[in-house]
Amino acid sequence: MTDFGMPLILVYTLLPIAFVLLSTYLFTKTEFAAYIFALMALSLISRLSEPKRNDFLKSIFNKQEYFSLRIIENLACCLPFMIFLSYERLYLIAMVLGLFSIVTGLFNYSANTNFTIPTPFGKNPFEFTVGFRKTYFLFPIVYFLTFMSISIDNFNLGIFSLILLGLICLSYYSKPENEYYVWSFKASSKKYLLEKIKISITYFTLLSLPIVIALLLFYFDNFAIVLGFYLLCFIYLASIVLAKYSAYPREMNIPQGILFALSLIFPPILIGVIPYFYTLSLKNLKPILNDPN
Amino acid sequence: MIRIENLSKNYGSKRVLDSISIEFKPGYVYGIVGENGAGKTTLFRCISGLESYEGDVNSDFNKLKDTIGLLLTEPFFFSKMTGKEYIRLLANARQIELGNIEEKNVFELPLNQYASTYSTGMKKKLALTAILLQKNEVFILDEPFNGVDIQSNLIITEVIAKLKSLKKTIIISSHIFSTLADTCDEIILMKEGKIVRTVLRNDFSGLETEMKEFSIGKRIENLDLK
Repeated sequence: MTDFGMPLILVYTLLPIAFVLLSTYLFTKTEFAAYIFALMALSLISRLSEPKRNDFLKSIFNKQEYFSLRIIENLACCLPFMIFLSYERLYLIAMVLGLFSIVTGLFNYSANTNFTIPTPFGKNPFEFTVGFRKTYFLFPIVYFLTFMSISIDNFNLGIFSLILLGLICLSYYSKPENEYYVWSFKASSKKYLLEKIKISITYFTLLSLPIVIALLLFYFDNFAIVLGFYLLCFIYLASIVLAKYSAYPREMNIPQGILFALSLIFPPILIGVIPYFYTLSLKNLKPILNDPN
Repeated sequence: MIRIENLSKNYGSKRVLDSISIEFKPGYVYGIVGENGAGKTTLFRCISGLESYEGDVNSDFNKLKDTIGLLLTEPFFFSKMTGKEYIRLLANARQIELGNIEEKNVFELPLNQYASTYSTGMKKKLALTAILLQKNEVFILDEPFNGVDIQSNLIITEVIAKLKSLKKTIIISSHIFSTLADTCDEIILMKEGKIVRTVLRNDFSGLETEMKEFSIGKRIENLDLK
């Protein structure tokens, strides 16, 4: 934040306001806001459970200090979510979230196993292969939500499961890869970007096909809505690929992040955002790919 | 043929490469030696096009970058990507169709395991296998023998000899003089971003003695070991 030139005091003031505004917006927009909230909190906690980081903490703190630190960290991350859930009178979810954050702090678990999780993306092993293995536990939840939507005849829940899958796939493009991987490609910047977008859409289709087919079969009257959301996921995937390379080789900066977040809330601005990210991406990739055009 | 003329590179106010001019011919193995910070890795990154620079890097190839197999000192691997997937990714990057990867697993690596769990030497061998399968014309190998076991060391030496016979251009950096003496046709000595000497195969033994005297001198005696 300070690198971006924003005074910390301003950041600390604006952050809670932005959190409250976005949370309020979320709760007015969807009945599944509580679950999205819980997932967001859990995703934050999971970042703090990174084994390398915790091994480092263990090496410098004694056992008691280490566990206290882990629990305090987890609770601090969950607290804003718990407060807002309580404000929404969702006390049970808030309480479960709090308990979960304490429990995950007590147990030292490692996500690294020697078992190689198989993926259907062997032909182009990169973002989707790595991402799938990091988020494999979310897929049963997503498909279960689709199944539930059909069981209890709730179309919105089905659409929610499709959106959730889209969001999971978007997260695969959040971090820039080492320059060596881009440099290795024998392609022009344009071709490189198009190939990346093509792969993202193909593999998203592979993962979302069961949901889309199920929704089309059971809610055929709403086929236009299903296809609409499906198409929207494509557009967002293309946008996140472009957003990633628009800041490359650095991580997406705050203005770019805000722009992408705004496009999630108000999709029409994608008409301007996509060409903007595309131009920046070409500019960043050309020197690495030694592309004169 | 790769021709480098007046190649210079600055990091801020620090000049890391200073007017380097050199030629690398096909069918030759070049060794680059020098102290840590002499500019070897930066030179490799500039030739490959991973760094911007002043001066010229020209070649007979249409696009030099796409013919280079670059082995980094510390290859980077994603946390959840297997050895086999890494090889496939780099082959795809150069539009190379690979057949049975297991058959080409010259270092007998556990290719179905996540590459990030490999040891330093195994990572090096995996990265080397990947660039060999890319069918490159130029090989830039930064510390290829680092952390590698004796058997693999022998294989790498043989691979370099094979590449030389196939008229590939090979540029190696190493801190182990004997490996360079075994493989190289020419050794280039770098110091503080400059090429200070180029030595042909006939004079390698002289260079080794000279380097020993220069590097060790009276330092060991000064330790006053008893």
